[in-house]
Amino acid sequence: MRKIFAFLMILGFASSSCEPDDICDPATSTTPRMLIQFFDIKDPSTAKNVSNLKVIGVVDGKDKEGVILTPSVSGDGKYVTSGNSILLPLNTERDVVKYRLISNYDNENPLLTNEDILEFKYTRQSSYVSRACGFKTIFELDDANPFILTDKTPADSMWIRYVRVEQNNITSENETIIKIFI
Amino acid sequence: MKQSLKYLFSFFFLLSLFFVHAQEKKTTTTAPPEVIVKGSNGTKTEKAPEKKLETVTDTVKPKTERYGLILGVDVFKIARSFYDSDYKGIAFVGDYRLTKKYYIHGEVGSEDVTVDDPLLNTTTTGAYLKAGFNYNTYTNWLDMENLITIGVSYGFSAFKEQLNTYSIYNPHPYFGQSSGIESGKSYDGLTASWIEVSPGINVKVFNNVYVGFSLQLKLLITNSEPNGFESLYIPGFNKTYDGSFGAGFNYTIGYFIPIYKKKVIPSKTKK
Repeated sequence: MRKIFAFLMILGFASSSCEPDDICDPATSTTPRMLIQFFDIKDPSTAKNVSNLKVIGVVDGKDKEGVILTPSVSGDGKYVTSGNSILLPLNTERDVVKYRLISNYDNENPLLTNEDILEFKYTRQSSYVSRACGFKTIFELDDANPFILTDKTPADSMWIRYVRVEQNNITSENETIIKIFI
Repeated sequence: MKQSLKYLFSFFFLLSLFFVHAQEKKTTTTAPPEVIVKGSNGTKTEKAPEKKLETVTDTVKPKTERYGLILGVDVFKIARSFYDSDYKGIAFVGDYRLTKKYYIHGEVGSEDVTVDDPLLNTTTTGAYLKAGFNYNTYTNWLDMENLITIGVSYGFSAFKEQLNTYSIYNPHPYFGQSSGIESGKSYDGLTASWIEVSPGINVKVFNNVYVGFSLQLKLLITNSEPNGFESLYIPGFNKTYDGSFGAGFNYTIGYFIPIYKKKVIPSKTKK
């Protein structure tokens, strides 16, 4: 009798500590970044690779360090990419982000280096994911003024020729939000 | 950290149980009387005293069994209300003896729980009701009235959930994390129902006082999920996780209220 009692007690207390991990599975779709793809201005249906692009976020007029565009590379190489798409994080506490997009970053010929500034305006919404992942932020680009493209000061010519919003709702990282024609 | 602490706690609790066991007296078996052989030839032998066969006199009194209601209170919930500032709860259990083996089982309770997950902090307040059957698998000797039961119950809970604070999960916190955002949003009028299977034990410690422990394995049937959120805790059901399984336990102290007595008809299979 007492043994069974003890057994049940052990089972009870053991089960109270057998709780699933409160760790969010990385495969879960949480706060998305914004997928930007680059296309050829002469042939708008063809993706075009950028050359040594570095993207730097600007908050309150101050530069942050570069956005990691190539996570597979270690060192400073991770901040630059020569692919045809980038994922840019949005600010989950503000309704605007400002990015410096520098093409041919750190090139031997400084004349080739070209910087344009893109500012995105959006609204935010918190959306429940799960107990382990909490909430995520989903974004919606402003209908009237989704972005402002400016040249840097002092002006160098624009390497970004045209920007098109493909989709206003940013809910996943798989959908192209912005197409940039270069 | 909290998890590992819980683990440690359980482990020490387990150890303490062993300690209790270690103090139990072992029943030593007395050696049978030896046959002492005197003399080298073995001519004179002292015989072991023969056991006289006890004549069992058949003086069986008409045995009666008491029927009634064991009313109990969940002492774990009360104790936890004292030491856990995030918890207030009370539950009453009742077992009405219907037949020799079957008991009607009921439980009413109320809980006010604040669940603090790494990314979410919620407070659930509500009441619950359980009704079902318990089957006593224990064959009592003489006039013992103990129970080792297996029970099936249906549970229903009505509650509300309030989201106190939440954090945004952002795997790429380039602009920093947003955590501990105050919400205060309340989700009212939530309900849930479930089926639970519970092995349990209820021991009469003295007079009519019972101490009981039961384990519950639960399966959610219905759950009115709040719009854009989730019921993270259901009173009476416990924490919810992915899937619809749950577990819990009761630690009760009860009092048996005798209502009537019934004569036991000796079954024919008994020798």
